[in-house]
Amino acid sequence: MFKRINKSLTGANRARHSLRTVLLALLALVFLCPQNAMANEEKKDLDVKEIIFEHLGDGYGWEVPFAHVYRIPLPVIVRAEDGKWFCFSSADLTEVIITRNEETGKDHKELEPVIKTIERDSKTYRFLIAHVSSHKDKVVQIFDLTPEEEKTVSTELAKASGNDSNSPRIIDGYVYYDGKYYREYRPLDISITKNVAALFIASFLVTLLVMCLVRFYRKNGFKAPRKGMGFFEMLVGFVYYDTIKATLGAKAPKFAPYLLTAFFFILIMNLIGLVVIFPGGANLTGNIAVTLVLAICTFVVTNINGNKHYWKEIFWPDVPLFLKFPLPIMQVIEVFGMFTKPAALCVRLFANMMGGHMIVITLTLLIFIFAAFGAAVAGAATVVSVLFSIFMLLLDVLVSFIQAYVFTMLSTIFISMSVADHEAHEAKAHDKVDQQVKTEN
Amino acid sequence: MELFTPDFGLVFWMFVAFILLFLALAKWGWPVIIKMMDSRATTIDQGVEDARQAKEQLDHAREEAQKYVLDAQARQQEMLREAAKMKSDIIEAARTEAQRAAQKEMDSAKIAIEQARKEAELQFRNEVGKFSIEIAEKMLRTKMSNDSAQTALVNKLLDEIEKN
Repeated sequence: MFKRINKSLTGANRARHSLRTVLLALLALVFLCPQNAMANEEKKDLDVKEIIFEHLGDGYGWEVPFAHVYRIPLPVIVRAEDGKWFCFSSADLTEVIITRNEETGKDHKELEPVIKTIERDSKTYRFLIAHVSSHKDKVVQIFDLTPEEEKTVSTELAKASGNDSNSPRIIDGYVYYDGKYYREYRPLDISITKNVAALFIASFLVTLLVMCLVRFYRKNGFKAPRKGMGFFEMLVGFVYYDTIKATLGAKAPKFAPYLLTAFFFILIMNLIGLVVIFPGGANLTGNIAVTLVLAICTFVVTNINGNKHYWKEIFWPDVPLFLKFPLPIMQVIEVFGMFTKPAALCVRLFANMMGGHMIVITLTLLIFIFAAFGAAVAGAATVVSVLFSIFMLLLDVLVSFIQAYVFTMLSTIFISMSVADHEAHEAKAHDKVDQQVKTEN
Repeated sequence: MELFTPDFGLVFWMFVAFILLFLALAKWGWPVIIKMMDSRATTIDQGVEDARQAKEQLDHAREEAQKYVLDAQARQQEMLREAAKMKSDIIEAARTEAQRAAQKEMDSAKIAIEQARKEAELQFRNEVGKFSIEIAEKMLRTKMSNDSAQTALVNKLLDEIEKN
């Protein structure tokens, strides 16, 4: 099989890589591969939702590039039920099980969860990545069932009997593992997961970029940087002069560090999220926890810097009295507005980035969905899906930048609304009116 | 659906990472960059302004130089004219002086001549007187006898005097 693929590829080389031959080779690859896969493995139903959420979600290990089952181990840090902290490698929680298919002689590898047992102070602590549980794919501490709990579990199971009994049932507070139910406790979990590691990488990259530029300045004084650093400096200038300074004016230097940090952090996170393999691959800004923290930061910065006028607008706005006095209608709306602004920031970034990733994954999955309809359809679907995926990824690069910019711009506007010097403005306006009156007289 | 329910661990680490990043960059990163970009922008603006001013000054200087040249030329003309005038004046003065000197010389010469003439006249008169006396003496001495002879003698003497 591989020989045939190689032949078609070398054929393509000979034909000077013309687009047509490359496409043909791609088609040939596609025609051959699904048959290959179907021949070797027992066919499984494709759980699209599962695959999408696996790719978008977090994980305790980081997939080794191009080796689906192997994971780069990361530290797991959890606080057990009795308040003790544990730190161990995520590799201890999984195991790669290799089964040999006797007919074809090929290995099939599967990543399976295993129980991590730790002895401390003559007590045994057991941890497991839950699969059949309400805390799916999270580390839980497990305990053997007491007789009472045993009863509860069996009554729960009895309720569900009659349904398909093949797949184990999820019971709240219990985890099913290897033919047995355990009581589960979800520990306080501050593990360095894939997303956290990616966060650190992103922070490191942002620091590196900024410090490179700072070092360049220290070294070269007034010389303008060229190429990469020049591009970075152009971005800084774009965000600082055209957005922050244009909106905040004299107050720009005070808030610029926060806004610039947010912009570049988001941008780098967005971009490394688009890279498929190791240093990237983590869907950071498409995770609501990350965008939530960013939005909270903007909320905090906006409100702790809010001046008298800002608070007056919220608690005693300039509206007819009946709208604010016996019933505080306007106050309720304004206070609600305080929270909806950062919430919108949070959801906007999250939804945009997650949407982009989801579309790309779905387009890729189309290939496997169409594989069921035979080689020709699958081949055509592949070409279409690859082209669309590339288009979507390019679009996502644009979206990455736009969303980072939109977040920064809106944060700037919110901050400027809370610190704006309204009294000065009003005084100016009054002066103008006075002058006009005088001139008219 | 973990995507929609923020995970505590991730929120915690995000806070830590973001705050640390912010603090580090706010202290050592952005202010340096912003200051540098600002000062470079002002330097460039200043440079452009300086260049503009320099050009203006240069243009101005050229004009000034032109003006000086014209001024100098005018002055040169003036000086040349003055020199020419002075020359003619000097010549004129010299001439008058010479004339006056010549006149004076001539006048003194005339006076000398006049004097000489008067002296000569006086001398001549004296001579004539002397001669007349001599003639009279001779006449008296020689030809006192006859009147004709006396007259002839007188005539002869007068002729002689006239010849002299």
